[in-house]
Parts: sequence; structure tokens; C-alpha cells
Amino acid sequence: MIDNQQNRTQGAAGTTDAQKAPQLQLKDIHKEFNGNTVLSDISLDVNAGEVVAFIGPSGAGKSTLLRCVNYLETPSSGDLLIDGKPTVKIASKPTRNELMNLRRQVGMVFQSFNLFPHISVLRNVALPQERVLGRSRKEAEERAMELLTRVGLGDKADARPSKCSGGQQQRIAIARALALDPEIMLFDEPTSALDPELGGEVLAVMQELAATGMTMLVVTHEMSFARRVSDRTVFMADGRIVEQGAPEQVFGAPREARTKKFLEAVLER
Amino acid sequence: MIEAIPFLLQGLGTTVIITFGSFLIGAFCAVPLALARLSDIVPLRLLATAYIEVVRGIPPIAWMLVLFYGLGRYVTLPPLLAACLALGAVSTAYLAENYRAGIQAVAGGQWEGAGALGLSKGDTFWRVIAPQGIGVALPPSASYAVGLLKDSAVASVIGVSDIAFQALTLNQQGNPGLPIFLAAGVVYLVVSVPMAVLARKADTFIRTRSAV
Amino acid sequence: MFEQWIQWLPGLLSGLQTSLAVTGLSLLLGLPLGLLFAFGMISRTRILRQTTILIVELGRGIPLLVVLYVVYFGLPDGGIVLESFAAAVVAIAFNTGAYTSEIFRAGLLSVPRGHIEAAQSLGLNWTDEARYIVLPQALRAIVPPLMSYSVIVFQATSLGYAIALPELLNSAYQIGSVTFEFLSVFILAGLIYAALSIVVSRFVDAIHSKTSH
Ligand SMILES: Nc1ncnc2c1ncn2[C@@H]1O[C@H](COP(=O)(O)OP(=O)(O)OP(=O)(O)O)[C@@H](O)[C@H]1O
Ligand SMILES: [Mg+2]
Repeated sequence: MIDNQQNRTQGAAGTTDAQKAPQLQLKDIHKEFNGNTVLSDISLDVNAGEVVAFIGPSGAGKSTLLRCVNYLETPSSGDLLIDGKPTVKIASKPTRNELMNLRRQVGMVFQSFNLFPHISVLRNVALPQERVLGRSRKEAEERAMELLTRVGLGDKADARPSKCSGGQQQRIAIARALALDPEIMLFDEPTSALDPELGGEVLAVMQELAATGMTMLVVTHEMSFARRVSDRTVFMADGRIVEQGAPEQVFGAPREARTKKFLEAVLER
Repeated sequence: MIEAIPFLLQGLGTTVIITFGSFLIGAFCAVPLALARLSDIVPLRLLATAYIEVVRGIPPIAWMLVLFYGLGRYVTLPPLLAACLALGAVSTAYLAENYRAGIQAVAGGQWEGAGALGLSKGDTFWRVIAPQGIGVALPPSASYAVGLLKDSAVASVIGVSDIAFQALTLNQQGNPGLPIFLAAGVVYLVVSVPMAVLARKADTFIRTRSAV
Repeated sequence: MFEQWIQWLPGLLSGLQTSLAVTGLSLLLGLPLGLLFAFGMISRTRILRQTTILIVELGRGIPLLVVLYVVYFGLPDGGIVLESFAAAVVAIAFNTGAYTSEIFRAGLLSVPRGHIEAAQSLGLNWTDEARYIVLPQALRAIVPPLMSYSVIVFQATSLGYAIALPELLNSAYQIGSVTFEFLSVFILAGLIYAALSIVVSRFVDAIHSKTSH
């Protein structure tokens, strides 16, 4: 229901054009906070249309890695490429223009929704389009309405975000990010703040988005979502990628002892 | 220029006396005022409220002139005394509000609890309510003291020889004003900054202690 | 007594006009300065941050009267001669900037970090982020204390007395020195100060209790 035509063709069959560089490349991303290493030289390629789920214990660095992808955190070193082109010349010193360009291509959804409380739902979705893409107010609000309807919230357009349930707020946040036509979407535990039923609404929207061929990086504690929806599951611990592969493999036959231990602990609950 | 420093420092003592004196006046007189402000007796409460509102509504320098020139016809107050009384009257109003906040912050159940134990009203106030309320009232009162130090400079307009007055005198004797007044500012800073730091320390100390 | 008061009122009201003009101009210059200081205090650039904090601490630590003396009696030594009106505005505006910076800073910091990150992740540049996301939200936390502060500014204009500015208090003093009715005229002037201050404070309280619901 959420279309993303240009990605769909390459997405489902990302192998048709083998020479083409992966859509997103992380090369030796290293991150320290005051001397504490939080990410040690992480490398990862993500193809267009791929859905990558990140799982792992608390403090593994999943959020930090995701936030490095749109430079909410500045990596200490390493390279970030989109469509084979470096996004930032000097990793630790992004320029304003580089940041703008990068963030135009990458959308993000947060655990705590972060809708702007002082403007209506419709304005939340329309305002960034006007300011970032230069769309007219009319154009932006039409697009906003279209997306809100698609996530099932057309009737909430004039409400304040605080009048919406958590699940609704998160769907609005997804619509807000999609309104800027990003090529890659980042989700940091989008359902952790929600009870299972409301989380389900959000997961449904994400699943549909994945089906349209959107490239998605999802940090999640929802093992069933990772298992069902992701094309690849990445298990992280202590700032490293311990293991990655098709979800059937990672969940069904984990190779690393650390992964086994984590999955046992999580699935037992 | 160097000779100016001791001359300014002579004013420091006076500044400290005004600050301390008026704070003491305020700290004492604010107790009955705060109680009157919370009293069940309506006229008493209205009177206290009116005092607090009106006194705070009039700038300290105006009080200074009222006491010095206004009362000058009836009693001639020495300038230093007039300054202490004027600022004392003002701090009474401000501190009473701090005390009131402190008293009100103590849960109503404490009054009932103490009453059930058979404590008298006076005992309840002094032994149960006040010791708890002081944690709430003290930090803003300490910062008020810092404000009072700065307000005390207005005493110079009625001829009290505080820091600001000494600087004015030096300037009128033909010394360049800029370095003199800046130096005066520094002398105030030398006192007000440590006071502010202490007030903040007291605040965090009380907060952490009462959090336990 | 009331006959006298009625006789004096025009003189006092013209003084009040000067007081209000100084109040208005000081706020007009001082509030943007306070906002500027607030941005400086939360800046990521260390030198900028520390310089701003130093200036603000100076502005808050030195009595306004002394700042007024610096501007009025001191600056002429540096070749800047200001009339008492301009000197009062400059000194009070600086003081206002220093004190309100804390109000602005608290307001800006009251905007949750997540909203700022959301704005950034959406690609808003920092001016848009400030204009559309941070300031409108911060304003709610900022406006009531700023309105209360304007009462303090109004009262502070009375310090103009010390540099012969013909404001309300000075007008009262002038009348007193002619009629020798100091007490009576000071009471009248005091009532004017108190009336204005109390009315504005009550108004702010009313707004505050309305918006906090
Ligand atoms: N701004 C910061 N300053 C200092 N340390 C930080 C900061 N952000 C994260 N860290 C540290 O980095 C490590 C990784 O944090 P991160 O939030 O990326 O983990 P996570 O895998 O997302 O965990 P969770 O599942 O709890 O969200 C943690 O040890 C955390 O304390
Ligand atoms: Mg996390």
C-alpha cells in the first residue's frame, strides 16, 4: 500500500545487476564516547530493497550504529557510502551540506515517536516537506493526507499528536518520514514503547512498507518480526557484528555461542 | 590607580554590614509575617498579603529615599540605619514568601499526625513543620541574600559609604571613572560569586539529604 | 493631601512615561540579547560557550547600579558619552540580557532532545529547526517568566534616579525638594510603582494558571 516504485524492481531481485554497488555501505565504522569504544570497525553492505533486522543485548551498540547512518551520531572514523558514493568526505567532520544531503536520502523513526506536539498531525507531516523539499503548502498537505490515509489515520489529520494513541503516533511518524521520499528508512525499536496490540498496528505498516521494496534497517526486540519480515538478521554484541545471515539461519541454526546464548535468553521469556 | 583599591575596600565592610543587617531583619520579621499570611484570621491575612505585595511592588531605592528623605522631617535616621531598615523591610516581604512556600510544602498530614500525638500547635510548628520546611525555604533565601548584596549598592544614593559610594567619591575627586567603577564591580563580584556558589552548594546539599 | 496629589500627578505621570519608555527599550534590546546569550551558553563551541558564561556572570554578579555608573560616568573616559536616558537603556538592557539568558536557556532545554533529533533526521537546517520546532515549544516555558521579569525591569528603571534621569522616582524627588513634602510624594510615587507591578504580576499569574491546565 505504500509504493516506492524505483526500488521495487531492484529490491525483490537485487541480484539482477550484480555489478551495481550496494545501496548502503558501512566501512569500518568506529565510534567512541569519551574514549569508550561503542562500535568497533563495523562493516556492512545493504542492497536496495533489503530489510535488515538488528538484534542483540542492551548496550550492544545497535542504536548507535543506526544513528551513525544518518549522522545523528558522528562516527569517530569509517566511511558511509550510498549508491557507491561517499556521503561525507571526512567522517568525523561532516559539513552542513553533506548532512542535509544524507538526511534527505535517509528517513528515521524513533522509539519515542518524537512528533512535534505544538502542531497538528497534518502539519507534522507537511512542514518538513515544505522546508526540506520546498513543496508548496498545498502540495505538501495533499501528500501528507495521502500518506496519513494509507497508514489508516486520515481522520486524525487535524488532531494534536497528544490526542493520538502511541500506535497511531508511531504510524504518523512513519508517514512523516516517508513524506520526504527517502531511499532508506531507519527504525530504532519502533514498537518498544507500545503494548503488543498497538505495536501490531505499527508492525503491519512496516511490513507493507517492506513489501513495496523500501530499504529498511530495523533495530528490534520483536524476534518474530525479525524472523518473518527481515531479509537478513544481524546479531550484535559489544559493539561488533557477531553473526549475520538469513533469519532462518540465525534463529534456526546460530553458529556462534554468543548468539545461541542471547536467543535462548530471549526466546525463553 | 592602585591607591584606589584600599579606598574601595573600605566600602566593602559597609556593604557587608548593610547586606547582613538587612538580611537579619528580614529573616526575623518574616517569621510572624509568613504566619500571618497563612493565618485563619482574615484581616491579619489580608494585611500580611497587602504588606508583601506592596513592599515588593516598590523598588528598593524608593524605600531608601522614603526612609531617608521622607521620614527626614520627623526623625533623622543615620544613612546606614535607614539603608538597613529599608532593605530589611523589603527582605521581610521576600523572605516571608519563601517561608510560606516552605511551610506549605510540608504535607498537611504532618499537622494532623502531630495533633494526634497531642503536641500543641506551637510545638508542632517549631519542632515538626519548621525543621522540614527549612529545606524548601533555605535555598531561595540564600540566593536572595546574594541579590541583597547587589541591591545594597543603592544605599550609595543616600550617602552610605559602601563600595559604590567610594567609587563615586573617587570619580568625583577627578579620577577616571571607567577603571574605578569596573574595579568596584570586581569587588562586588569577589563577594557575590562565592556567596552564589555557597548558596548553590547548600541547595544541592539539602536536596540530596532530603531525597534520602 | 489628595489635593496635593492631584496637583503633583501630571509631573509624576510624565516621569512614569520616561520609566515606561526605558522599560520598553531595555526589553526591546535586552531580550534578543538574552536569547543570544542563551544560544551562546548552550553552544558546542567551547570558547563561545565560556565567553558567554563569563559575560552573563559579570552581568548578574555586578549590581545594576554599578553597571549604570560604568556606562554613565565611566564610558565617557573611553570616548563614549551617553545621556542619562541612553545610559539607563544600555545598562538595563545588558542586565536584562544577562538575567533573561537563564530563562531562555531553560526554555530551550525544556524542548525534548528527541524532537531536535527528529527535526535533524528529517533534514531541517538549524534555522528551520530553531524557528519551527524549538522556539515555538520553548516559548511556552519562556513567556510567563519573561513577563514577570518585565516588572523587575520596570522597577529597575528607578535606578535612573542616581544618574539624574527624569523618571518617576526622580520626578517625585524633584517635587519633594520644592514642596518639602517628601513623604507624601514618595508615597504617591510608591503607589504608582506598586499598582503597576501588582497588576502585571496578577495578570501573569492568571495567564500562567490558565496555560498550565
Ligand atoms: N551519548 C552517549 N554518551 C556516552 N555513551 C553512550 C551514548 N550513547 C550510547 N552510549 C553507550 O554506548 C553503548 C551502546 O549504546 P546503544 O544505545 O547503541 O546500545 P543498544 O544496543 O541500542 O542498546 P538498547 O537495546 O538498550 O537500546 C552503551 O554502553 C551506551 O551506554
Ligand atoms: Mg537502543
